Amino acid sequence: MELFTETLANIKKYIEGKNCRSLSAKPDPDWPSGKGRNVVLSDEMAVELGSPQMNSVSCLIWTQNTDLIQDGKITLLGPDIPESTGKSLSFGKVVLLAVSGFDEESTYDKYKEMESVRYSLDLKGYMIRAVSQYQREWSRISKEAVQKGFSFDVFGSALQREYLKKDYIHAVEFLFVTSSAEDVGELQDITKNVGRTISAMNKMLSEIDPDCDECEYNDVCDEVDEIKKMKKNRDEKRTHTHG
Amino acid sequence: MDKKTRTIALCGKGGVGKTSVSALIVKSLAKRKDLKVLAIDADPAVGLCTALGIPIKKTVDDIRNDLIKSIKKGEGQDKAATLKMLDYELFDALTEYNNVALLAIGRPESEGCFCKVNSLLKDIIHDLAKNFDVVLIDGEAGVEQINRRVMKTVDHLMMISDTSAKGVNVANTIKHLAQDNQAVNYKSMGMILNRVRNESEVQNIRKNVSINILGWLPEDDLIREFDFNGRSFLDFPEEAGACKTVNQIIQDLQIL
Repeated sequence: MELFTETLANIKKYIEGKNCRSLSAKPDPDWPSGKGRNVVLSDEMAVELGSPQMNSVSCLIWTQNTDLIQDGKITLLGPDIPESTGKSLSFGKVVLLAVSGFDEESTYDKYKEMESVRYSLDLKGYMIRAVSQYQREWSRISKEAVQKGFSFDVFGSALQREYLKKDYIHAVEFLFVTSSAEDVGELQDITKNVGRTISAMNKMLSEIDPDCDECEYNDVCDEVDEIKKMKKNRDEKRTHTHG
Repeated sequence: MDKKTRTIALCGKGGVGKTSVSALIVKSLAKRKDLKVLAIDADPAVGLCTALGIPIKKTVDDIRNDLIKSIKKGEGQDKAATLKMLDYELFDALTEYNNVALLAIGRPESEGCFCKVNSLLKDIIHDLAKNFDVVLIDGEAGVEQINRRVMKTVDHLMMISDTSAKGVNVANTIKHLAQDNQAVNYKSMGMILNRVRNESEVQNIRKNVSINILGWLPEDDLIREFDFNGRSFLDFPEEAGACKTVNQIIQDLQIL
């Protein structure tokens, strides 16, 4: 079940058209745990990414075509964390996942599981606040963490390890953007449909009796074949349940 | 071993100087750069924010009311996503000063019962608080509001009173409510006396109440001047008797 074929192609084009650099995930990031304390106050902060005052975009894109995702590849557009000390930057993050077993029945639940992975990271000196429905991610990295070498390869590696704990995820690739508000804005435009697709799924599967004629995601359900299949599957199940 | 969060809640009759004492405790804790402090202003009039001279961007009740509006508009989502959104909004509502983060609860404006929203917010405040070394709650007069709107368990319950019989009686009443109704769970309870003219006043009160007196602050024209002119208690002189008393209380309670 492919939802984001075009978006994935557009992201690859975006990467090719920019002056990006490649980093590699480390096999064993070995970063100490924050022991459940994940607040970084501005007093101890070295770098802030995607704060509510800055541009920010974050999304997950998955495909069942494993050839399209290079496991452990980290693409960075803009300065790395150690090069940004003392700054608050706009931030873009796209996680590209090669997955299997996604169908009308399981896609939404698997999405929710994948979405919660970023919150399970417990890295000392790293704080995340994120809202999936806004497609925003706000993070802070402490001075101590930067001094000890926290960078996008450490971050990406730790995140990759968490995603790969799911047996239906086979490869993870990352795009991080810190270069400018404009570059993050461009990425926002490319990934806008991801947020709308997720919101449409959320509305379709969480509301008991959504009024499709009035729904703001009507166009998504009409245009995306996979969403149509999910809707059909939902309707069949409801008919079956209610006799 | 995981670090432990110490929670202090201050309550007492209105007008006894509770917020000034809270602000002096925050000032004392703000000196300890190795600690993270969360100060929660649970007074609907956001008095602690004013006493510290720290402007607030939004209150927990602003967040609550926005969420209620979006639910009414049918923009509901699953619980996990709602919790993450509230967590984001709550962190954005914090005002930071050095090692201190200030959160204002504010005044509820929406009519009707939204117990689920209140409960979610309380869960989020509880989760946020676990990230701090010390949490100070400047409460309303009673302990029920602390329970209802902030959290159910505190380590140190501090009653603030002036030397008036009314102030001391309210402190006694709060003590009994806390004990009998179990309105809030606490590990230790004590009283701080404010606006004391001489030590004999303290001795007299000590005879009449069964609450441990943690310390007393002298009647001080400077506190009054800070209050009157809206000056930040973060600028209160360190050598003043009130500051010394507060520092001593914190040391005695082994909060740090």
